[in-house]
Amino acid sequence: MVGDDVYPDWEAVYRDNVERVYGLMFAKVGNRADAEDLTAEVFLAALGPMRISASVGEVRAYLSATARTVLAGHWRRNFGREVTMFSDTLDVPQPTAAEADPDNSAEPTAAASLAQRMLAGLPEQYRQVLRLRFLQGYSVRETAAALGVSVSNAKVLQHRALRRAAQLSPGGEP
Amino acid sequence: MSERGVRRFVADLLSGRRPRRFRVEEHEAAELAAAITLRAARPGAGTPREEFVTDLHHRLAAQLRAQTDQAATPLVKPIDVSRRRLVATAGIAAGAAAVGAGVDHVLTTEHVTGAVGGQPTLIPNAGQWRTVAASADLPEGGMTGFDLGTVIGFVTRSGGRLAAVSGLCTHLGCRLALNAPARRLDCPCHNTSFALSGQLLRYQLAVPPAPLPRLEVRESNGMVQIFAPPAPSA
Repeated sequence: MVGDDVYPDWEAVYRDNVERVYGLMFAKVGNRADAEDLTAEVFLAALGPMRISASVGEVRAYLSATARTVLAGHWRRNFGREVTMFSDTLDVPQPTAAEADPDNSAEPTAAASLAQRMLAGLPEQYRQVLRLRFLQGYSVRETAAALGVSVSNAKVLQHRALRRAAQLSPGGEP
Repeated sequence: MSERGVRRFVADLLSGRRPRRFRVEEHEAAELAAAITLRAARPGAGTPREEFVTDLHHRLAAQLRAQTDQAATPLVKPIDVSRRRLVATAGIAAGAAAVGAGVDHVLTTEHVTGAVGGQPTLIPNAGQWRTVAASADLPEGGMTGFDLGTVIGFVTRSGGRLAAVSGLCTHLGCRLALNAPARRLDCPCHNTSFALSGQLLRYQLAVPPAPLPRLEVRESNGMVQIFAPPAPSA
């Protein structure tokens, strides 16, 4: 599928975009349940009014625009504030960019490198606790053992480390 | 006290749960965003489950079918899907219309009807024609329920033709009740209703239940008969 092509039917639209939309959503909500619900909301809202004689690039841009609205609605409705949002340039694929780059495989890399940049700015112990807890799925107890601190210390460390990471993160400001 | 919401949000994320809602203060947002960024960086995190992809595909097919059926049967509508947060807001619809404008080909039925499973007919391996009513008791427009021990259902005569459908809700198997004045079958469990033809009329569930399976029905020697397995011997 390249930017100027046209999808044969809605199922092709779905097959070609469901993983990308899910990946975009997961990067912005960080949990499966919300990512699934919001992905469903995007397609349920978009497929009815969508005209598929639009080019592949236009359809993708349209899905991204719908995803932006859906994500904003999710945060405002449930948390009163937009905690994360899609940047203007990064997440809406241009028709030409979509041709060159298989975006499904690019998404996790983008998410991972964002996290790596965030971790890189932290003191060693903070970096460790966040890596173990968030990336490697250690329990608090396991993290405490790995770091050689008490369980309650591990909790405090995690809390402080996350706060520091938030201060460093450029994308964190709403 | 504002800390509590953040801690709980982070704990939910870390245990893979859906974070519970709370009112986020301005200074808290960056912390939540950082937690999300880290969580999303786990290998494979951004890949959807196969079951989810398949299930959503079915839901989309059902939605598009419902939209195209709507001209003929305006009854098909979700009663309340707001709890699952699946309602397309006016804002989305308006934005969608704006983006979608200017092109000519609409996504319509021709792709959908073939893609959807349709309404299967039950044909048991070892069936026999079993009487459920006298023909005289089922005049034009008539309807009646039956319980054959192995199969329960409803039979109607409409336009001179007999039709029979299963009497179990396709959602979770509750026994449907005949609502004669409304000419429909109501599920006592979750506000789902089916037409006597088996088509879904209304539902409150996130996923539209399938239509009711049809049963084979015939008229023989003044009797209305259903093709069903023999009654259980015990």
